[in-house]
Amino acid sequence: MRAKKRVVTYGKATPPSRGASGGPAPSTRRTPTVRTIRSAIVEPRPGSPQRQPPTAVAPPVAGRTRPAVDLSIDLGRGLVLRNPILVASGTFGYGVEYADVVDVDRLGAICCKGTTLRPRQGNRPPRVTETPAGMLNSIGLQNPGVDAVLDRYATQWAGWHVPVIVNVAGESIEDYVEVVQKLDLVPGIAGIELNISCPNVGKGGLQFAIDQEAAAAVTRAVRRATELPLIVKLSPNVADIRPIAAAIADAGADALSAVNTLSGMALRADRTGPFLGNTYGGLSGPAIKPVALRIVYEVAQVVGIPIVAIGGVTGLDDVLDYLAAGAVAVQVGTAIFADPTLPIRLIDQLADECGRRGLASYRPLIGTALPKRPNAASAKGVEYRP
Amino acid sequence: MQLVDAELQESRQVLPGQWLQQYHAPALAVSARAGQFVHVRTGDWSGLVLRRPFTINTADPATGAISLHFREVGRGTAWLTHLRPGDTVDMLGPLGQGFQVDPRSRHLLLVAGGLGIADLRLLVDEALRDGRQVVLLYGCRDASEVYPSSLLPDEVEYVVATDDGSVGHHGFVTDLVLDYEAWADQAFACGPLPMLRTLAGLVTGRKGRLGVATLGRKRGGGRPVPPGSSAARKKAFLQVAMEQTMGCAVGACLGCVIWGVNGPQRVCREGPVFAFDEIDWEATAGVGTQAR
Repeated sequence: MRAKKRVVTYGKATPPSRGASGGPAPSTRRTPTVRTIRSAIVEPRPGSPQRQPPTAVAPPVAGRTRPAVDLSIDLGRGLVLRNPILVASGTFGYGVEYADVVDVDRLGAICCKGTTLRPRQGNRPPRVTETPAGMLNSIGLQNPGVDAVLDRYATQWAGWHVPVIVNVAGESIEDYVEVVQKLDLVPGIAGIELNISCPNVGKGGLQFAIDQEAAAAVTRAVRRATELPLIVKLSPNVADIRPIAAAIADAGADALSAVNTLSGMALRADRTGPFLGNTYGGLSGPAIKPVALRIVYEVAQVVGIPIVAIGGVTGLDDVLDYLAAGAVAVQVGTAIFADPTLPIRLIDQLADECGRRGLASYRPLIGTALPKRPNAASAKGVEYRP
Repeated sequence: MQLVDAELQESRQVLPGQWLQQYHAPALAVSARAGQFVHVRTGDWSGLVLRRPFTINTADPATGAISLHFREVGRGTAWLTHLRPGDTVDMLGPLGQGFQVDPRSRHLLLVAGGLGIADLRLLVDEALRDGRQVVLLYGCRDASEVYPSSLLPDEVEYVVATDDGSVGHHGFVTDLVLDYEAWADQAFACGPLPMLRTLAGLVTGRKGRLGVATLGRKRGGGRPVPPGSSAARKKAFLQVAMEQTMGCAVGACLGCVIWGVNGPQRVCREGPVFAFDEIDWEATAGVGTQAR
């Protein structure tokens, strides 16, 4: 057994305080639960008359007079992010590709491209195409393998302030475990995002995300193999996400990220066959935001661990939506392709928004849209089920 | 690579459905090399989530102007054609590896198919500036699509082939290559995939007798270079500019790959210019881009 593990903290991240709410007492539990968060909304309501004077006093004038807002968030097991804006796996490479135009060190965290045990060449081209308000991709987990990734990037990552979360994919539980063991205790690796939901590979991937038992089994196996913070990425391609999410949480995941891409396809311009080399691809972008929002909303009511929302974030409104639906952080994905500096701007905008509402932390924004009685709707079985 | 706001200076339709736009972007004009491209952000309206890659048609460091030559094929390009002078466009660039001309090359053979001329236009300027001789072979469907010679410098020998014979040679542009291959030190091509594949077929197996490789042999042969390396690409008789639907254009998303002999190659990062022998032409057979 390994003797001692380091605790990952970054920069001047404040400890996960409970905000200005005076709400629940500070606890030593490793994660802020949804319950904790929801009780924080007895805070003064935004836009209420009493709040007018502060808003009038502190309008963001031309100078950068940004109020000090606590944007830090604890995703569990010591993975404390300085802010809740992450970049999604597969859209930011290994963090070095956009370095010319983006100040990567300001990001909450970077989720790197899906990494497997052995090198993968990926799917046949073409691999991407634009669709209404979104895009399809079928990269097929092209990556140089975990050893090459560590060899090329780990030293660089260790020198960054921004935590790098390695997205791990595999074809079997043994694959996942072996990759994770290689990542364990490597400086520069802040956490693991377990990709059990890639829709673009024939074998492995999705089969774990659509089955409750398999999802729990792979989570448990990885949990035993590492002390690194473990985030499990959910698939939207399931009938009911809640039992799967609950099983993963019970199996020892520190946090969940939701969602991966939706399975879809596009045809060639002359309609002689599928456009993508892999026939099927994963849909991302603003088109999937309502689906992702529904899943975050549902999962937030059945698990007590933090949720990182992914899906069509293109502006502050999307961030606030996901927070209100119960997520504690968001990942920006497809929007980076059009606007590489968006994640950095979102951090500033979120701080400004909190300042405007007179909040010392963004955490009171979390879970405001969740029902007062958890699971009330599902108990009646009246919600929409596709 | 930089993010710049480029101001549209001039926009005109040079051929049916084909536009030539000049932008003021000094940062790009100074650093752009022939064959490189910019990734252009289209308007946020109607849910276009991806940027559009355009090759840099011309770049003038003196005036800070770059130009783009494109065909209106979908909503993104349609949006560009509606811009007015003075409007600004968000551009990321210059991106990718451009054409690499061997310093010993005196005679350059450029082969363009249709809009492929946009990739080679800046190479014409660079080659003439460096005192090289240029022959430009241009192929298109019929007389209405022939690239206007007024847009080319006078020093270029410009030869046209049309599929229907309405102007110039009656047939494919690749038919003309045989007349010039002995003259050429290096050849550069951009155009439809079948054209590039035919050219690669013409050159394959004979590269030892063509172009700068021959020059090297007269000097007792150069040092062997690893295939696929930058040095090998520079020496290659034929370099081709490839096309693929693109996501990020900086090498992060791995979306724009084509199949090379050494596995997948990112068009945005390892390309868009490749030596002809780097590409697995069999595996690339079905690749096409979708109108959007």
